[in-house]
Amino acid sequence: MAVCVAVIAKENYPLFIKTIPTENELKFYYTVHTSLDVVEEKVSVVGKNNNELRELYLGLLYPTEDYKVYGYVTNTKVKFVIVVESSNTSLRDNEIRSMFRKLHNSYVDMLCNPFYTPGEPITSKTFENMVLSMM
Amino acid sequence: MSRQTARAGDPRKVNGELFTLTYGALVAQLLRDYEDDEEVNKQLEKMGYNIGVRLIEDFLARSNTSRCNDFRETSDIISRLGFKMYLGITPVISNWSPAGDEFSLLIENNPLSDFVELPEGHTALNYSNILCGVLKGALEMVQMDVDVWFVQDQLKGDNITEIRLKFIKRLDDAVPAGED
Repeated sequence: MAVCVAVIAKENYPLFIKTIPTENELKFYYTVHTSLDVVEEKVSVVGKNNNELRELYLGLLYPTEDYKVYGYVTNTKVKFVIVVESSNTSLRDNEIRSMFRKLHNSYVDMLCNPFYTPGEPITSKTFENMVLSMM
Repeated sequence: MSRQTARAGDPRKVNGELFTLTYGALVAQLLRDYEDDEEVNKQLEKMGYNIGVRLIEDFLARSNTSRCNDFRETSDIISRLGFKMYLGITPVISNWSPAGDEFSLLIENNPLSDFVELPEGHTALNYSNILCGVLKGALEMVQMDVDVWFVQDQLKGDNITEIRLKFIKRLDDAVPAGED
């Protein structure tokens, strides 16, 4: 189960961050922010070899001693970041992939809401409930 | 040629989402322009009315139905043929009034409001109010004056979307002035 889920817009400002409330939230905000650098790096590397399609799932961005950070970028440069506890070794790669897929699907559904303007902070209850189900 | 056959299997699905998104953009823009929920409801009903008076011709041409004998038949045709033809759904008819002049259409999955979440502070907005206008306009063209309104709306938290129709009177064609 994720400890923190974040959605970041293409201009690199956060659209949505949700953390498990018992922890020090600011620490997660900082972790997500620093992970953006790693995301940029991964995205730019493939840019040189434009014949190959870059995969949306970026995988493990970097491990800290307590947490592992995973990234996912859509083709519109919207980034999803999931932070999980390192002690939670039972979470396998394809489980993380399926979490990102669910996030992406929910995000797309929310985008189809005519009352949501892309770039606005996310306030949709459906999206929030889906994220809470992952934490 | 092969591309055409590939699309022939599923053209309606693509059009459905485009339709939903188009309607959504329309309502969102109306809300930005008028800023008042009641005014938007009225505009949607007016637009629906204009659609309805034209749609009825298309419907009658395609469905080949004869004149309905009473309001119950009308309700059955609306639900089974009308909604099915244009929205691909079949609402359930229920809640007949004792006099037989009012009934409800229960819609479970309204294609117009797929993915929609009403924003805060707009609880008076009847998102699919265009349907009310369409029904009113279409029935007026077949000489029935009806009142159509929303009773329940899934977007506002109810379990089901319910539209109520009430028969007011039969419209007789007025004799043109100058004729005996």
